[in-house]
Amino acid sequence: MAEKLDINIDEKINLAHGDGGVDTQGLIRNLFYQYFDEPLSNSMPDSFVFEAGQHKLAFTTDSFVVKPLFFRGGNIGKLAVCGTINDLATAGARPLFLSAGFIIEEGFSMEKLHLIAKSMSDICQETGAKIVTGDTKVVERGNVDGLFINTSGIGIVSDNYHPQQAEPGDEIIITGGIGEHGTSILLARYDLGMETKLTSDCAPMSFLINGLGEHLKHVKLMKDPTRGGIATSLNEIAAEQALEVELNEKAIPVKSEVDAIGDILGIDPLYLASEGRMLIVAEKGWGEKMLHQIKALDYCGEAQIIGRFTSGHQGMVSMKTLIGGKRIVPILEGQMLPRIC
Amino acid sequence: MIQEMIQEMNDQSIIEPIIERLNRVFEDISGLSGQSMRIMEVCGTHTRAIAKSGIRYLLPQEILLLSGPGCPVCVTPEYYIDIMISIADREDVILVTFGDMMKVQGTCFSLSDKKAQGAQITVVYSPEDALNIAAHHRDKLVVFVAVGFETTAPLIGVTVKQAKAGGLDNLFFLTALKRMEPVIRFILQDERNKINAMICPGHVASITGAEHFRFITEEFGIPAVVCGFESQDIAAGICRLLEQLTGKRDKKFVNLYQRCVTPNGNPIAQQMINEVFDIADGEWRGIGTIRNSALVLNDQYRYLDAVKRFEIKNEQYSSPLNCLCSEILLGLKLPKECRLFGSICTPEHPSGPCMVSSEGACAAHFKFGGDGKNG
Repeated sequence: MAEKLDINIDEKINLAHGDGGVDTQGLIRNLFYQYFDEPLSNSMPDSFVFEAGQHKLAFTTDSFVVKPLFFRGGNIGKLAVCGTINDLATAGARPLFLSAGFIIEEGFSMEKLHLIAKSMSDICQETGAKIVTGDTKVVERGNVDGLFINTSGIGIVSDNYHPQQAEPGDEIIITGGIGEHGTSILLARYDLGMETKLTSDCAPMSFLINGLGEHLKHVKLMKDPTRGGIATSLNEIAAEQALEVELNEKAIPVKSEVDAIGDILGIDPLYLASEGRMLIVAEKGWGEKMLHQIKALDYCGEAQIIGRFTSGHQGMVSMKTLIGGKRIVPILEGQMLPRIC
Repeated sequence: MIQEMIQEMNDQSIIEPIIERLNRVFEDISGLSGQSMRIMEVCGTHTRAIAKSGIRYLLPQEILLLSGPGCPVCVTPEYYIDIMISIADREDVILVTFGDMMKVQGTCFSLSDKKAQGAQITVVYSPEDALNIAAHHRDKLVVFVAVGFETTAPLIGVTVKQAKAGGLDNLFFLTALKRMEPVIRFILQDERNKINAMICPGHVASITGAEHFRFITEEFGIPAVVCGFESQDIAAGICRLLEQLTGKRDKKFVNLYQRCVTPNGNPIAQQMINEVFDIADGEWRGIGTIRNSALVLNDQYRYLDAVKRFEIKNEQYSSPLNCLCSEILLGLKLPKECRLFGSICTPEHPSGPCMVSSEGACAAHFKFGGDGKNG
């Protein structure tokens, strides 16, 4: 079986294989799909949607190995519950039930575990989801870095949501400022000693399903821009839809702190994770109406139309820059690493 | 302060007049058909900023922006990566490095490959982090990979001094620090590249002072500007150079980055460099040895040199490049002229130094499609 793989079997797994970019996709397509069932569509959806009696349900899973465990505006527990709820939301589903699996390092603080569990409970209360099953393993010191969490979720898909192929002219909305989660993590990880009020954008997005009301019918697809940020998510969308995505740099909401910290570290906010934002593809002509409605929702005051589909270069994301130039926005390749000078 | 500066730089009321001015300059240039103008930016951060802001898309065919050797990661010789790897292979060592060094290929491996194989390699943002790592791992030998130009050297100097003052006997430095002025002279003395004007390295100038680069105009007779790193900074710099090249202004050296760069620079940082380092000949990947272009630990601190501590036989050699990086670094060729560009040679699998760091000429062109209308 191994000789069929379109990968080098002498290669070792490295960190880039888990970053959500080119290497992760290669690993999934070229290794896992050799053994597991491929998704029914050609894309790699965040949730699997299936019919059960009268209803359509969505099912998803995600593991969280974030470092540090606590960051400005959240912790690994909040992230784990929001992440799974948001993956369900991309399928137009309201969350029903979640599972939570904990792998805990011997010696981990009980107080921290308490705080993490409480924040998971808080998000569940806010969204109506329930954690109904789980698992706990404790491993010897050094075998994990503090705490890893896996969450799975099942949700019920709204009758109003019917994902469709995008067409030229369809508009792309982001529900708020980009990269605030990624920047908060960088601030904690590199201990930059900067005074800022910036907090993670980590939030559950399931309220969009009801909040969009009838407008949900004019949403063609949704994607949460987590690993690899909006650049990577939009590249995936452009490739799936076989269209060009043309962004307008001026319209992309980026907090000045995110810009400044990214600039210092040499990391582009377009690639920084947003854990409480959604990219929404609105049917041509519906963008402004939808934007008006979205801006009134929780966490969405800074929503903007940031670009549109064109029939230009298939699968490419380009951007009209602030100065009027044009450039490619490529997919994230490898790990983002702080630069030298 | 930083936030205010960035907000100010992204203000469309500042950007739009610059674009208008740029367009007016282009109109003037359109009358000078067939006359190409070759402007080199030496700093890797400029290279990246130019590609990222899509400035080439705005430029007419006649204006070529050439990327010089100002990416410190790209110009670190292959044999030096091999030395890092041989040190990282030791079980008693923690290698500490800046992030963008991780992907650079030595003869066979990169530091990323070695980390995946279990070597203890830690990525840091500041050289001072190496002090903490050394203090918390007294049972290990900690080696900091000190790569960069005059911009990075003062911070490394501070760290070296603190290591000595704190009596840290387990922290060593593998230095590959470079000086900008000798390589600029080297490039401008090469008549083949026909460089008409130069965008000077703003980061280095913030340490050395703008005056440090006046020789470009005075000795080589070409206009030069020190400019910042926002798209409008660079556009304003290009405007100023073109106005001089087309005779609308006198040829002179100009500091357009006065908000960060003073005429004489940062005396404390300069003193730090002088206290800790000696000037030596340096080898540049893809270029070769350039006289007086390196900074090495001086006699007082040489005992902290990792090459000395690990008794590494420093056999310098330049392996031949299969690509055009040498010519690209010297302003003789463009990335798109290399047959490996984007096919065999990509940022994930770089064949040559220019594709290694995001600030390398080829990597910036590859990622952001730097050629724009120029094809």
